[in-house]
Amino acid sequence: MTQPSSRALGPALILVLLVLPFVATNYWLHVAIVVLMNITYTVALCAVLRMGYLSLGHAGFIALGAYTSVVLSVRFGVSPWFGIVAAAAMSGAVAWGLGALTLRLRGIYFSLAVFAFGEIVVAIARAFDWLGGPSGIANVPRPSFFGIKLDTHFAFYWLAMVVAVAVVAFFARLEQTRFGATLLTLKTESSERLAESVGVDAAAHKTACFAMSCAAVGAMGAVHSMYLLFVNPQVFSFLMSTDLVIYAMIGGTTGFWGPVLGAGVLTALGEQLFSAGYWKTLVYALILMAVILVVPGGLTAVSGLWKRELAPRSGR
Amino acid sequence: MGLTLFLQALAIGVVNGALYILTALGLTLIYGILHIVNFAHGELYMLGAMLVYLLFVAMEWPLWAAVPVIVALSVLAGFAVERTIFRRLRGQWLQLLVATVGVSLIIQSVSWIAFGAQEKTVPSVLEGVLLLGSVRVPIERLAAASIAMVLVAILYLIVYRTRTGLAMRAIEEDEETARMPRVDTDRVAGIAVALGFALAALGGVFVAPIYSINPGMGLEAILMSFIIIIVGGLGSITGTVVAGLLIGIIQAVGALTLGAEAAHVLVFVAMIAMLVFRPQGLMGRVR
Amino acid sequence: MHDISRRDAVRSIAIAGAAAALPFSAHAQEAFKIGNLAPLSGPAAAFGIGINRGIELAAEDIGVFEVAGKRYRVESVPYDTSLDPGKTVAALNRAVLNDNVRYGFILGAAVHGAVLPIIRQNGFFDIFMGAAGKEITNAENPTVFRFMASSDQLYYTFTPDIYRKLNIKRVAFMGPNNDLGRSDVKVLKDIAASLKSDGVEFVGEELIELNAKDFQAALLRLLARKPDAIDTNASPTGTVGLIAKQARELGYKGYFISSTAVLEARALVNVAGKGADGIIAYRIWSSSPSPLYDQIAERHLQKYKEPTLGTVWEAYAATRWVVEAIQKAGSFETRKVAEVLAQSTFAGHPYGPASWGGDKTYGARRQIQTPLPASIIKDGSWTPLDVRMGKLD
Repeated sequence: MTQPSSRALGPALILVLLVLPFVATNYWLHVAIVVLMNITYTVALCAVLRMGYLSLGHAGFIALGAYTSVVLSVRFGVSPWFGIVAAAAMSGAVAWGLGALTLRLRGIYFSLAVFAFGEIVVAIARAFDWLGGPSGIANVPRPSFFGIKLDTHFAFYWLAMVVAVAVVAFFARLEQTRFGATLLTLKTESSERLAESVGVDAAAHKTACFAMSCAAVGAMGAVHSMYLLFVNPQVFSFLMSTDLVIYAMIGGTTGFWGPVLGAGVLTALGEQLFSAGYWKTLVYALILMAVILVVPGGLTAVSGLWKRELAPRSGR
Repeated sequence: MGLTLFLQALAIGVVNGALYILTALGLTLIYGILHIVNFAHGELYMLGAMLVYLLFVAMEWPLWAAVPVIVALSVLAGFAVERTIFRRLRGQWLQLLVATVGVSLIIQSVSWIAFGAQEKTVPSVLEGVLLLGSVRVPIERLAAASIAMVLVAILYLIVYRTRTGLAMRAIEEDEETARMPRVDTDRVAGIAVALGFALAALGGVFVAPIYSINPGMGLEAILMSFIIIIVGGLGSITGTVVAGLLIGIIQAVGALTLGAEAAHVLVFVAMIAMLVFRPQGLMGRVR
Repeated sequence: MHDISRRDAVRSIAIAGAAAALPFSAHAQEAFKIGNLAPLSGPAAAFGIGINRGIELAAEDIGVFEVAGKRYRVESVPYDTSLDPGKTVAALNRAVLNDNVRYGFILGAAVHGAVLPIIRQNGFFDIFMGAAGKEITNAENPTVFRFMASSDQLYYTFTPDIYRKLNIKRVAFMGPNNDLGRSDVKVLKDIAASLKSDGVEFVGEELIELNAKDFQAALLRLLARKPDAIDTNASPTGTVGLIAKQARELGYKGYFISSTAVLEARALVNVAGKGADGIIAYRIWSSSPSPLYDQIAERHLQKYKEPTLGTVWEAYAATRWVVEAIQKAGSFETRKVAEVLAQSTFAGHPYGPASWGGDKTYGARRQIQTPLPASIIKDGSWTPLDVRMGKLD
């Protein structure tokens, strides 16, 4: 799994991330920030996907995090740094609760339950004035780092990058631990029963993973709201949830690079094709169909397939 | 709240419920037989409405020519999608689900491009209001509701009284059983999908004159369809009927007493509650 | 059909081809980019598309213009915002940071909360198309001009006359549950209170979801209070049509009043049939106010093969007036142009002579003043109501 070539890519990527803000224009920094946010969301989504569950309402947890942070900082004057932590805690806690209730449902049942939850979050945000109602809350404060307010694209990039790298590294590491390995055994109902028969507490594992995933997107959701300087019910809609699923499926759900490349490339592409509107959706959807029908593991699985084709048939 | 108001709300709820049933039937059928959640369902519904606008309004075909053409097109599309996409991904629920999402996005974006963004209207063929005491029911809605019931009846007949229907139920029950001789699984799957697509499109056709139509109307349709089939029981026709009426009434009476936003949330809460406490829905069987 | 990106591509190729064909680069024109941050998709798409066309028609008439010795051509740069604040922020970011656009139409009062900080920071010249009032056009936003009538102006100077003329006593409100809808309710209540001595009473309100299609339950509640007129302000054409249709089905026989939506009569009649009779709209001309108005309508029909969209005339006028101000100021510096614009009047507006007002009400002179009519649908088409809008201080 970790071949010499891909091990070198990791540090190379870090290097790129560190050098980028010094050479990029404001516009490309904007694109980079959006890419980092989407990568974070997608990686977190894949963590849940790898244990066999498709969340169609991740945007709801992003929204929960964003609104928690915004309400705390705008209405109660709390520091945005604390807002990020609170956002993670809130999303994680609610996910724990929802997970405990719904993770025993498999397949589409779970997906629809989370989807319904996402809709409820948005509906509640729309219904109450102190949550901003349909127009949301504006003038969201940005955090300061040792006195420097993260007001410019350059400064904000670092915040987005740190959070993104933290989340991605966390889930990559998680995969290597025993916890992560156990999660893989829970992918289907039958394998889950097998795992339980040897003493694995499946429910606890699944709930924990789901909660961690949602906590991560909640934290990034708080950062997201700070970037936009406002929050409203339309930003974190069902369409965002489906976008994340598309990034994950096209990029590939297994391995580290799948979600990173999927989210990264498609987001960057999307920003460029901006004025195209429906054309962007059409292109994404066509790529998605091609990938699903030809390479169901996602584009990053292509190299694996290739290698299998080229390797000598005789045993090793 | 007076009796008249309540009765009127009830009438609104029942008729709206029938419209919901009409909208959700296709989704129920495809899930019921093949256990595939057809995310493209909403877009097929939208296509039905768009096509009736294109043929009946823009190209001025008579209705008796337009509707069969739309049915034929959706049946063909159903067979095509089953053959190329569903069959290939059989057994992989995640890939199937995302594939239908992909199909829905393709239909949606092509429709935006082809039909443009302006809202369209299909003029009402049946104007006028039926007066039942002091309760007023618009005739065109009543007609659509009646058609919904006719389609439900036809669906029942097909599924429970024909050999194809028997084969469909056999597939649903257990694929092993279905693999016995005399049941051509592939053919039956194709028929199920074709039928599901046709029902979705017909839903759009008959609801078209009631509201305005635009390429984005599929989202609302599939949201409502999801709620109906979850509450009623995925794959149960009876469940769809019961849930449709129930949700329609809850919404109408709820909106009258609590306001539209609250009624909206109520319906989603009902959906989650159903999923948590009785995932098989009102009429579904435990799997 | 009318799809933006293909036209963009064609235009880019055409411009590239034309530029390549010019023998003398010294006479090449630069593009003066005017952004259009408006919905180009979704239910409100007609607004954004109309602005695009208004800019294009104006560009045809302006041709090549000169500023500080250099020659320019107007070029519209569309950004589809779907009336979503998030997308508008992204669009403005892209326009200002990447595409070097400093002037633009931004449509929608609801999206402005999010973009005003960016506008102030960059000195972006905002040709604001949207209602609401002093939250947007005020002393703190020196480069934001409202180029259409504002909610409060329409409400305060039209409504009392209309109520008196049509003997409307009980008035209710049904509109979207957003900033615009809610501020409109407040204004309506205020007006009703001021007309108490005439027997006017505000009898109820229903706030609905913006994209909702079924209003039967909400209407049921409202109609129980027996209103003479339902104010449907802040809702787009399709919604007004559906409200009218469903209200008539429930037996309502009164009026519908709409001030800020640009309503298309044919669209309303298509949806509501006979039920559309009795819809009153401000800002709709049932008889043409000027030859320029007719000329634009004629050109629109020929070029785009459909009747003129509502926002076309105002977008046309705004483009021409802004270019005139730029020429007068001799520079593209937005603050300078803003000052020049505020002091000027414009004779080329299709609605009639245009000027600026709002010093007293908004603390800034950035609210357009033009003659505006009111019309009512009778037998499926607009007929004039003999009321004219007053001027705003």
